[in-house]
Amino acid sequence: MPQSGLVFTPDGKTATLQMTNVPIIDQPRWPAMDAESTPAFMDFKLVLKAGAEAVKYEDPARQYRFEGFKASAQMEATFRVPSIDFTFKTDPLETSSADFAVMGDEVNGKYYEAAKA
Amino acid sequence: MSRDHGFDRRRWLTIGVSSAVAASLPGALLRGEAGPQDCAAPIPQNHAPSNGGPCPYPIPWLDKNGNHNQSPMPNVELSSIYHFKGKLARCNGFHGMGTDNKGNRLAWGTPTTDYSYMAGEYWAARQAHQAIFAHT
Repeated sequence: MPQSGLVFTPDGKTATLQMTNVPIIDQPRWPAMDAESTPAFMDFKLVLKAGAEAVKYEDPARQYRFEGFKASAQMEATFRVPSIDFTFKTDPLETSSADFAVMGDEVNGKYYEAAKA
Repeated sequence: MSRDHGFDRRRWLTIGVSSAVAASLPGALLRGEAGPQDCAAPIPQNHAPSNGGPCPYPIPWLDKNGNHNQSPMPNVELSSIYHFKGKLARCNGFHGMGTDNKGNRLAWGTPTTDYSYMAGEYWAARQAHQAIFAHT
């Protein structure tokens, strides 16, 4: 995605991810194996704000480490399914919430041991 | 499908795991089209070494189907790319309300409403690549 689509505040604690005309599929019967899909598009703005609680998820056997903070996440979006003339617009960003969100830094694979050193 | 299905039964999925475009594209472009899939391993010419393609490497134990690898939660691999270092955020379980083009008020969001970004360096084709990815 374009670099301009992801913006951080100077303190790095708030991230805004914003994209338009993202090609998606509308698949109401998912996850049925034969669920039909219809081309659709979405515009969205997602804002993540880091909280004060630090988290660290690490598994040396699988060579990954995530260090960051629990966060809040809010989103506003518009969805369009042109073939059935359907659109859906969410209420403003401030009215949404997410059950789980974290933001931070990850290293894995070949970078795992090097970052530890 | 028809619009008779409630919005809570809809599942909005991206085509592919990520929408990825090189970060060097003009800043004014915000279209979320999937990136060019020209990262398949090239066939070496003149006996040159084969180093694979520049596509990001998936998480070996998660992503063999290329999508829906794992919901974000504590103590799991949150990345969708192996051999990655950089900024990452994951979130899911959105709740909210909205309005369709018929004026119907509908709830949106499910436990699988999963969004993420990854911004940093990944290793493929025996060299480092800088990129930003979003998963919607």
